[in-house]
Amino acid sequence: MSARRSRAPLASLGAVALVLALLPLATGGSAHYLRLLTLMLAHMAYAVAFNLIFGHTKQLFLCLGALAGGSAYVSVVLARELHLSPWLTMPAGILVAGALGALFSYVSVRRGLGTIFVGIVTLAFSLIFQNVILGLRDLTNGETGIVTRDLGASVLQRAPSSYYAFLLLLVGALLLYDALMRSRLGAAFRALSDDELTAELAGIDVARCKVVAAGVGSALVGAVGALYAYYSGLINPSVYSLVAVDIAVLITLLLGGLGTRLGPVLGGAAFAIIEELVRPFGQLNVLVYGALLIVLFVAFRDGLVAVPGRAAAALLALRRAGG
Amino acid sequence: MIPILIDGVVQGLQLSLLAVGITLIYGLGGVLNLAHGQLAIVGGVATALLIGGGVNVVAACVLGVLGAGLFALVVDRSLLVPAYRAHGEERLLLGLVLTLGLSLLIDGYLNYQFPNTALTLRLPVPSVNLGGFRVRSASIGTSLIAILAFLVLLGFLRRTLVGKAVRSIIQNEVGAELCGIDATRTRTLILVLSGMLAGLAGVAQGLFSSLGTEMGVEFTILGLIVAVVGGVRSINGTLAAGVLLGIVNAFASYYVGTYLAFIILLLAAMITILVRPSGLLAYWT
Repeated sequence: MSARRSRAPLASLGAVALVLALLPLATGGSAHYLRLLTLMLAHMAYAVAFNLIFGHTKQLFLCLGALAGGSAYVSVVLARELHLSPWLTMPAGILVAGALGALFSYVSVRRGLGTIFVGIVTLAFSLIFQNVILGLRDLTNGETGIVTRDLGASVLQRAPSSYYAFLLLLVGALLLYDALMRSRLGAAFRALSDDELTAELAGIDVARCKVVAAGVGSALVGAVGALYAYYSGLINPSVYSLVAVDIAVLITLLLGGLGTRLGPVLGGAAFAIIEELVRPFGQLNVLVYGALLIVLFVAFRDGLVAVPGRAAAALLALRRAGG
Repeated sequence: MIPILIDGVVQGLQLSLLAVGITLIYGLGGVLNLAHGQLAIVGGVATALLIGGGVNVVAACVLGVLGAGLFALVVDRSLLVPAYRAHGEERLLLGLVLTLGLSLLIDGYLNYQFPNTALTLRLPVPSVNLGGFRVRSASIGTSLIAILAFLVLLGFLRRTLVGKAVRSIIQNEVGAELCGIDATRTRTLILVLSGMLAGLAGVAQGLFSSLGTEMGVEFTILGLIVAVVGGVRSINGTLAAGVLLGIVNAFASYYVGTYLAFIILLLAAMITILVRPSGLLAYWT
């Protein structure tokens, strides 16, 4: 029984991976749609990471863009200045992002900051990141940004291989998430997301759980950010801005379902569709993001993942009423 | 030295005016308003549109400020209802996310609808000689507006019965309700007041330099920094923090450049939260 239960998530993960792997065939060779799908995978991977940080351990990090961008800039600047292969500098960027995330979490837990103050501290960090990048003009070219095309990560620049690189990262992230959630740490996450005080009293090291979740999640955010840097061919601060990353990922995760396994994937797909729908309206997309954020947070906190269950329950109730 | 100091104080008073609304709303209801800067923009843009429509400048300014208050009233009655229904940590989180959504909503709409609208009140503003230094009279005007607004606000909170009710809720919401104070109505009143203060800050910015639709985020962030350093529950603290940070910003901008100056302000907010969450300068609640 327990062997079967542990295999079920892997089966659904395999199905998701298979569908996503076949998806490029549906684009009919359109470079535009393949690009949108690649961006969707990046969003999904961000959301898996944010799910660990916010969905499970309730740490409102408003610095995903800064962490992703920090990792990206560390990797790109090292590769460019020292003429190293990007594949060697990416781990450095990921390490920096993970360490920063763990540090924020550690400090917040130590100082007993509530959700709101964690939000402000990380928001302040986001802005510091943006200003540091703009200020260090010699290294980062300020707002103009750095061209990453000829730095040597060609796998990430050719069309289908870049898609599969992001898919590999997403599947890796989901496997990591599964492994974490099935370990003792996962049980602790579930306990502390119900009630932190009770979890603490039951002997769970809440501080350690939060720091680990934030560290792993932030490293993952850094990995997506670094891959994206070479994929897009150009990085500048606006690629990693609050609206471009944090808000989009928050909406993705809320759409899919906080604290669920497949929520980030479903939410990423739904968000990609919504983005495509609002694209013709140009500047108005920010307005749509705002409206979505409000509606989702007030009325749809369980996300798309809960829809089949709710529909089934409603159907069952209907039947019972009929019979 | 002295001109930079004067400039810093003028900027600082502006910052305090911008931040005091955040302090009021957070102190009263636990909602950290991330759309506060956007309220200032709403007031400023309304004023600019009215002036563009041929309304007298002074009347347009008054109507713009009232418009920001009206907008805040609508927000209080619609968006913040779910937040105030919740309690504790959930209310904080809801307030934060809902106002974040609202800020995007306003930013998206204004940038789409009025992309090139800017409030620039080209009043005849000669420089005046103040103790041997030339100061723009617009600077004096905006500073006087800010000081007057603070005096009225403090008078309202200390002398009137409603003001005392407000302070009692800041101290203890449940206790105040047990004494027969209607927390919901008082919160609405304060939200409108804070919206009007934001609108006033927006209009004053237009008087001082120029105000565009894209400045909402910047205003919110600056207000947030000042409110946090002042200790998000203390009005005197907000005033002091605003002036202090204004002076710091003026000197830092002059000596080390604007990027680093902004980073210094942000670090001040971060360190305040980590070292003294009740605010570096809070001495009266």
